[in-house]
Amino acid sequence: MAHQTLDDLRRVIRRIETRRLPRAAPAPVEEVLGGELIDTGEGQLVVVRREFPLSHRHGHQPLAGALSAPLNLLSLLARLEAPLEDVRQLLFLDAETTGLAGGTGTYAFLVGAAWLEDDRLVLTQHFMRDFDDEPALLAALWPLIERANGVVTFNGTAFDLPLLETRFILARRRWPADLPHLDLLRPSRRMWTASFADCRLATLEREVIGVEREDDVAGSLIPALYFDFLRSRRAAPLARVLAHNRDDILTLVGLLGWFGGALAAPAELGAAELAGLGRLWEPVDLERSLECYHAALGAGLAGEPAQVVRMRLAWWEKRRARWDTARALWEAAARHAVFDPRPWEELAKFHEHRRRDFATARAIVDDALGLAEDAGVPSRVREAFSYRRARLDRRLLARG
Amino acid sequence: MLGGILDDLLTSPSTGPCITATRHFPPRSPVLVPFPGSLDPRIGEALRARGIEELYSHQARAWELIQKGQHVVIVTPTASGKTLCYNLPALQALVHQPDARVLYLFPTKALAQDQLAELEELARQLPEMRMFTYDGDTPQDARRAVRARANLVLTNPDMLHSGILPHHTKWATLFQNLRYVVIDELHAYRGVFGSHLANVLRRLRRICRHYGSAPQFIMASATIANPGELARRLTGEQVEEITESGAPTGDKIFVCYNPPVVNPELGIRAPYLGEAAKLAIRFLRQKIATIVFAQSRLATEVLLTAIKGGVADKTGDSGIVRGYRGGYLPTRRRAVEKGLREGEVLGVVSTNALELGVDIGHLDVAVLAGYPGAIASLWQQAGRAGRRSGSSAAVFVATSAPLDQFMITHPEYLFGTPPEHARVNPDNPFILVSHLKCAAFELPVGDSERFGDLDVRRFLAALEDEGVLHHTGRNWHWSAETYPADHTSLRTVTTDNFVVIDTTARDEKQTKRRSIIAEVDWGSAFATIYPKAIYLVESEPFEVQELHFREDEEKVAYVKRVAVDYFTDAISAKGVWIVQRLTEASQPAYLAEQGEVLVAEKVVGFKKIKMGTLENVGSGEVELPQQEKQTTAAWITVTPEVLARVGPSREELIDGLRAVTYLLHHLAPIFLLCDIRDLGSWLGDTTPVTSGVAATRDSAKRRLMEAEHFNPTIYLYDSHAGGIGLAEHVFEILPDLLRRGLDTLESCACQVGCPSCVGPVNEVGRRAKATARALLRALTD
Repeated sequence: MAHQTLDDLRRVIRRIETRRLPRAAPAPVEEVLGGELIDTGEGQLVVVRREFPLSHRHGHQPLAGALSAPLNLLSLLARLEAPLEDVRQLLFLDAETTGLAGGTGTYAFLVGAAWLEDDRLVLTQHFMRDFDDEPALLAALWPLIERANGVVTFNGTAFDLPLLETRFILARRRWPADLPHLDLLRPSRRMWTASFADCRLATLEREVIGVEREDDVAGSLIPALYFDFLRSRRAAPLARVLAHNRDDILTLVGLLGWFGGALAAPAELGAAELAGLGRLWEPVDLERSLECYHAALGAGLAGEPAQVVRMRLAWWEKRRARWDTARALWEAAARHAVFDPRPWEELAKFHEHRRRDFATARAIVDDALGLAEDAGVPSRVREAFSYRRARLDRRLLARG
Repeated sequence: MLGGILDDLLTSPSTGPCITATRHFPPRSPVLVPFPGSLDPRIGEALRARGIEELYSHQARAWELIQKGQHVVIVTPTASGKTLCYNLPALQALVHQPDARVLYLFPTKALAQDQLAELEELARQLPEMRMFTYDGDTPQDARRAVRARANLVLTNPDMLHSGILPHHTKWATLFQNLRYVVIDELHAYRGVFGSHLANVLRRLRRICRHYGSAPQFIMASATIANPGELARRLTGEQVEEITESGAPTGDKIFVCYNPPVVNPELGIRAPYLGEAAKLAIRFLRQKIATIVFAQSRLATEVLLTAIKGGVADKTGDSGIVRGYRGGYLPTRRRAVEKGLREGEVLGVVSTNALELGVDIGHLDVAVLAGYPGAIASLWQQAGRAGRRSGSSAAVFVATSAPLDQFMITHPEYLFGTPPEHARVNPDNPFILVSHLKCAAFELPVGDSERFGDLDVRRFLAALEDEGVLHHTGRNWHWSAETYPADHTSLRTVTTDNFVVIDTTARDEKQTKRRSIIAEVDWGSAFATIYPKAIYLVESEPFEVQELHFREDEEKVAYVKRVAVDYFTDAISAKGVWIVQRLTEASQPAYLAEQGEVLVAEKVVGFKKIKMGTLENVGSGEVELPQQEKQTTAAWITVTPEVLARVGPSREELIDGLRAVTYLLHHLAPIFLLCDIRDLGSWLGDTTPVTSGVAATRDSAKRRLMEAEHFNPTIYLYDSHAGGIGLAEHVFEILPDLLRRGLDTLESCACQVGCPSCVGPVNEVGRRAKATARALLRALTD
């Protein structure tokens, strides 16, 4: 409105003051969305409840997989202070909001929550028919959060949980700031950063869980769909938003199951996944991490990801003075299709300083310089090799 | 040393006759009282550790009122220990109540940093104090820690507006326990900025109510006519004033200097910038620390160039004199402040940016190049020289504009007039609507809720119509994906800022690095950074290569360093048309009206002006879009009978009316608190707005000459879109303004008009002064 004139403003005000807003009776939202109207004591809201047997497969991942997830390991990997204990006490959460801006003016108009109960997954979606349903939504959510021993989200650290916390505080409700929280985005990043272009839930769902959504609504359109509904009261277009939210939560459960399987039986993983697992373990348990890296190479990891793993592995092996292993890795890395000066430099250092075999070191530097010339690497790399060669020449001369 | 130079200045044949008046302010001794009994002994200890054994009387009075729970505003001179007035109650609250929170607001980040340093000093023995600044410079990863730890937060209104209030749930502890809100430099919050702040405070009080707190406001202001009223308007609370200072002051002399007349017939005086530079050089050469205040960014640069040339030693080093103005990047400004404090920088040329209390240490002389537009600013700038003891001087150098000449030739007015009123208009619809959006974002607005004391239901309905609010139950809710505070800047009515990027290095070294050298606000961009304009930064000239201003692109001016000896001055076209009449007052000779107008402006070209001699050495054309704004104005239409009586020729009447317009515009700031640039003026007519195309002076004149109905109208309008209350005031004082115009004209010694009365002869014509006199006589009859 900044660039509007006073006149425009006045015109708008006049228009409104002389107009009666027609209020058509809309079809009940709960019917359209297939849910029911629940009374919470703090007003009503629409709750859509679905149950899935644990044998249900989301993509190629059975929901039951989540039951066997080794929570202690996952908690360790997610670097939680207190480990999560019982999968059946976990609450899977995902919110759809009126925007990404954050702050007190962004509402969570739909909050999906799911938990494992007996032989099924119970998924409830809490929907505000209008802003004044929010107290009811928070009231309905509270017992679920209160009885949970932890929550599982995807990117909840940065988005869903601060947003819900804001809503709870605004409504003068308590929010359990110390609730253990497993944000699957963190381990997913480590797991798949080298494999996929991004780590969005949709990408992982497609690549890892094997789900192809049909007629999915783009996340960026969701706020506009809700605002349209507020004005028109036509709930039908929102059915896709609810389906989107439901799919997100099923993927969340599937992803947890996938991690469970991967941790329980790494032997069945492919090379790239083994490398990912290595990255996952690296800050927590180095021995396990190195095992995974070796296994990844053994399973035929190739190309750039293999080079990254070799150099990473060699770095750790060098630090632990396992020189033969390190040397073998450097030698493999030096054969990489694209010239990489780092293993050559490491090999030259190894022969010069560890083995004091100046002649071999010099031969390696010579080869590296030849390759560097062909590969057209920056001049400072070549200068470093030349410098090293000059020193080796002096040492060879001194030795006679 | 200072005394010797001053004697020489007052008595030498070259400068003595230029001095129209001097005023000596004798030193004043302090009025001291013991620490109040209710003050925590540990705070007393901390004060003693810093050499403070007693309080000045105004500090004790502030303590007393604040302890009684009253909102207060302290209005005492520079360096009178205002900060202790608010630091004491804040410290006491934090030492006594572990949960208490205090919020400090400063108009700039630099002032907050200054104050933090002072508090840290004071709080050495008080471990309960946990104070932090929270502003745009606070790193993202430190923000959570500040929110969790701080019990005293120093910030600025902009950050409160865009970073704190919209995230108030993260600050819940602060808002639940907010005891005091301290607002320093209250006088800075006038006009647009003040109107915004009033709305930010409306939002703050709303959030506090939500969390069940009702903070006390403690404010400090430089001398203005209406500190209490301003404080009330800004906070919406009843406020007690404290105006009696108990602090000592040193010996001070104020000198009025009128540049000599060099062409008596045309009434032309020696250029004031040259005279001011000469005076400053005289002091600086004797190693006397001097601050020079210029009235515009351009004048700052021109003065700086001249003074640097005058003090450069044989090696050409003029680094002891620096420039300082808004638009410079913060690092540059911090370096200059530090240099001044530590004595490495001896002189500084500044816009009113240094009028505020940034700590720049002790200075001996202030040279005011031109009247700063308000008595309050005059004393504020003069107060920058001299602290609690020792002698100091301030020299006011008049320009040849009517206002300056009036002041310099009526020193009794200059010394005798109380400082102006600081005006704000929190209900400016543009500003109000922006903040209503933010308020609704922060908390839903209730049906029966007032914003401040305003009924805003119409605006809320308009916002729902626009699609950003949604009404349900008994509340209006924010219903858009955007974050409204991001779209509202507190410093202007509209928002976009231009960055100025130096491409010299990029072109030479082929680097892609963007070197930002300055920022320019939207309002002045078209008049300062049009293509081919010379833009000066610390007197270094840059030529504007490209200006990107379209709605869908980043607002950028690309500039390149050049070696030129001229600067540029924009030539603009204008038009003013009546949109709505709100009030009128019919006089025998004219009809005065007040209401809303449409103002169109367009930069069409520029003049090249040589540095030093200020002669016109060329010109150029510019293709830029017309800018339009709706604002408030007061206007007078002279009756046809009077026009017929005064002069037979339309052309002469137009010249005479233009002369009157110039005079009224230049004298109006005497009656208003405002800079001359806060007002615009135009001679048009009462034709309703149809085409609305801006015209240059010449084509506007032709238009009037050829008009079917000759009903020339003098417009004085508020420069800020939507108006900040100036036009209403102009309307009220019109009869006085016309009388003051006639007085000025009749007492001016020139023969046919000069810049000090009706404007330069070559612009208004040789008959203009006579016609203007006849017109003003008729209008004041």
